Amino acid sequence: MELLTNPLSLTVLLPALAGLGIFAIPRGNAAALKGYALAASLVIFALSLRLWAGFNPDLAAMQFALDKPWLPSFGISYSVGLDGISLLMVLLTTFLMPVSVLASFNYIKESPRAYYAALLFLEAGMVGVFAAADLFVFFLFWEAMLIPMYFLIGVWGGPRRVYAALKFFIYTMAGSVLMFAAILWVAAAHHTATGAWTFNIPALYAGALTVQAQFWLFAAFALAFAVKVPLFPFHTWLPDAHVEAPTAGSVLLAGVLLKMGVYGYLRLAVPMFPQAAQTFAPWLAGLGVVGVIYGSLVAWSQRDMKKMVAYSSVAHLGTVMLGVMAFEPAAVAGAVLQMVNHGLSTGALFLLVGVLYERRHTRLIEDYGGLAKVMPGFAAVFMIVTLSSVGLPGLNGFIGEVLVLFGSFRVYPWLAGAAVAGVILSAVYMLGMYQQVVFGPLRHTENKILRDLDLREWLYLLPLLVFIVLIGVRPNPFLRPVLPAVNAYITLSGARPAPPSPAVNIAVGGEERK
Amino acid sequence: MTFDPVAYASAALAGPLLLVLAAFCCLLLPLFFKGLRGVQGMISLGAVLVALAFFRHAPPAQLALFSGALQVSPLSAYLWAFAMGVLALFIALSLARPPAPEGSEGEYYFLAFMAVIGLLVMMAAGDLFTAFIALELLSLPVYALAGIRRSKPGIEAAYKYFMLGAFGSGMTVMGIAVLNALYPSLDFVSLKAAAPADPLALAGFLLVMSGFAFKTALVPFHMWVPDAYEGAPTQVSAFMGAAVKAGGVVLLWRVFSLFDGGPVREIFWWLTVITAVFANLAALGQSGLKRLLAYSSVAHAGYIAVAFFGGTRGWEAVLYYLPVYAMATIGAFGVTLILEKDEKGPKIEDLAGLGRTRPWLAAAMAAFMFSLAGVPPLAGFFAKFYAFSGAVAGGYTSLVVIAVIMSAVSVFYYLRVTVIMYMKPAPAEAAAEPRPTGLAEAVVFLMAAGVLAAGLLSRPLLALAAEAARWF
Repeated sequence: MELLTNPLSLTVLLPALAGLGIFAIPRGNAAALKGYALAASLVIFALSLRLWAGFNPDLAAMQFALDKPWLPSFGISYSVGLDGISLLMVLLTTFLMPVSVLASFNYIKESPRAYYAALLFLEAGMVGVFAAADLFVFFLFWEAMLIPMYFLIGVWGGPRRVYAALKFFIYTMAGSVLMFAAILWVAAAHHTATGAWTFNIPALYAGALTVQAQFWLFAAFALAFAVKVPLFPFHTWLPDAHVEAPTAGSVLLAGVLLKMGVYGYLRLAVPMFPQAAQTFAPWLAGLGVVGVIYGSLVAWSQRDMKKMVAYSSVAHLGTVMLGVMAFEPAAVAGAVLQMVNHGLSTGALFLLVGVLYERRHTRLIEDYGGLAKVMPGFAAVFMIVTLSSVGLPGLNGFIGEVLVLFGSFRVYPWLAGAAVAGVILSAVYMLGMYQQVVFGPLRHTENKILRDLDLREWLYLLPLLVFIVLIGVRPNPFLRPVLPAVNAYITLSGARPAPPSPAVNIAVGGEERK
Repeated sequence: MTFDPVAYASAALAGPLLLVLAAFCCLLLPLFFKGLRGVQGMISLGAVLVALAFFRHAPPAQLALFSGALQVSPLSAYLWAFAMGVLALFIALSLARPPAPEGSEGEYYFLAFMAVIGLLVMMAAGDLFTAFIALELLSLPVYALAGIRRSKPGIEAAYKYFMLGAFGSGMTVMGIAVLNALYPSLDFVSLKAAAPADPLALAGFLLVMSGFAFKTALVPFHMWVPDAYEGAPTQVSAFMGAAVKAGGVVLLWRVFSLFDGGPVREIFWWLTVITAVFANLAALGQSGLKRLLAYSSVAHAGYIAVAFFGGTRGWEAVLYYLPVYAMATIGAFGVTLILEKDEKGPKIEDLAGLGRTRPWLAAAMAAFMFSLAGVPPLAGFFAKFYAFSGAVAGGYTSLVVIAVIMSAVSVFYYLRVTVIMYMKPAPAEAAAEPRPTGLAEAVVFLMAAGVLAAGLLSRPLLALAAEAARWF
């Protein structure tokens, strides 16, 4: 019973139960299916707000923790808990979910019941990954989440969906099988050292592994997470998956799934193998920066809007990796915030591309132009989201990027300097795309009759806009719960003793210095 | 309650004896009572279900019967329940679409019962002789079952299976002869006590093991598998995958566990690696569903062999692995049976559009494929996890790394089935309405529920397996 009374555990399990429950609705009743999926995702979001309200932002420890022995002979327990980082990730997931459901209403015509069920199962998997405090449970959700995503891309995707779905599944699976072996090794080593089997993540942090063992274990974990992030050169599955996935799939893929890779470094790879992490960190940060530049350059050359947004994700996540690997409070906190920002702004970009695609069935930039005249509302929303993505001060992207760049500059001055180039490049291609799509003459006659955003589209875009602006002007409520967790991460990484809490009082966005 | 050996023995043997009785009833009674012809299947199913109902939680004691030839213990109870469960499912599948030609149902069910009795003896065998006799009692009926249709593919399957199986049996006998010359007693306990060091003994053990490896289908002793699985009636293929393999696994483990190190382990290490690598690569190229499942069964023999390196923990994992693998395999063969139009079974392409035309059947098949591929939350993932965790704890990390990489390869061919089912349109011509197969569908959905539940709720099954493993 505790499984359902613990608010966090309920947030993990309810989506799965709701996904099963949808099969009670008759197949043909599309309106009821939509209503049910939307209601379920809204209820889950409301539940997760309880987590936000009840969260003590000054604690580094896991909150809402629940630890129930599951398979005691292996030391596996169903163990969940939240710290500041996972809190934000869980909220991001539950927030993007109703948005994705709402965005799918018109697009999904074929077997809607299975579609919404897959979305809800996916949500259970994603929340589970962020909430897990047991390595086995983490891996379980990490892998289980592949199945609904695979079907979302493969069944409801674009023309090359089969290829994209297979590539997505196989890349991710191939990346994580070695992590599977590494997990077994970590647990076995812990058993040898202490005589007890456990997969509890905090318990494994203290593991006394040799540097040599740490090296291989970190490599195995890092590979799995690098595929997911995706770090250059493991990113090639991403453009295919993003382009072929239905809009909601792209939103969740970019908004949440990619964050799982970074989260893996934050929660597992670095704290469990700190010495190896120190060795690998400059390389991973370097790959991040390569991703920033490479992703930006490739995005610049795209003619397909969705592909451009996909490559811009590679660039944004590169920045995030730079911050995470700097082990510097400002950089790591900025990276965590940037994960949320990327989820919001890239999610919104995919939604906007979806809006255009549903009207015109093309995503090529040159098929548009002059949309400001026929779709003024769309043009305004698109403007805000584009500026958020390129990091305009006053919007959310700026805060995250600046924190990452300032923080990491103290550790990797050259890398941070190079990453700045990515910021400039992102302005070039994003604004270039915006200009070609929205301004200029209305070249194509088909575009003259395009409808502006309707009520449903406003309904799912507005919440995103609210947060894009809110984080931009008042980031501190979002940063505050993150800081204890960030400090704990830096302490565990062993980079340097974390500065006492007041020294990392990041005051940006007009907040008073304490 | 005091322990009463007579009561224990009779309770334990009641099930197998009932099967013997049922076997002869199926074969002989219809000769005299015409009314019984054609209903042997129902009789068999009833008998197995009654036998299964006899199973009680076995008292924690080991009892040597027939001067040690049979060792009855919670371990044998666990394995016997498993074997009879497989038999019940096999009979249900046979009832759904009778594979035997009209008039030969009697032989068919008789042979099935005999094979299972061989399997039961094999699982509880206390010495190598008994194990060998049981192995033959298992094998001979299965050769005949494979060819029961007397059609060309069936006969080819039976012939290949028989030739290679006889070769394997020959090796076992030769090995046993060598060992018999060297050791005073061939029961497993005294073999364990006598340290096998000299090369001749080693040769004997290796010969015995290769004979057992034929049944388990480890590469390079797997050559019969694809042809036999493809040509045999689908129910029999399911039986081979689920039951015959289990028998081989038990015997292999008996011999393997005699050694704490040394060349036998090393050779077995290589067998495991070759099996995992070769089977998965070969499966990639298959176009027939039954052949795919055949290679998948070889690959899973490899994963089970990995668990051998985990000591007692690994053995627990094997005991959990066997039913989980059996559920997925029987389920997948059940789907094959429902869809098959000729003896060789459907091609993978023939599943196109199944997600649309028969969504629940396709969902069940997808569950089997994901379970075999080892994707959570399905039971196959837990089975692999337990199997590999023991081996890693035992220090065989490189073996596990190879196995997990190959299981990533296996994802590709299992996924291909789901791709065809869900992402390829159904063929244009209207599929002929399949014959009613309610019982087969019941089996399929039961198995699907099993692979869904046995993973997340694996605690009771794992506890049973752990208890059984202690009585080894």
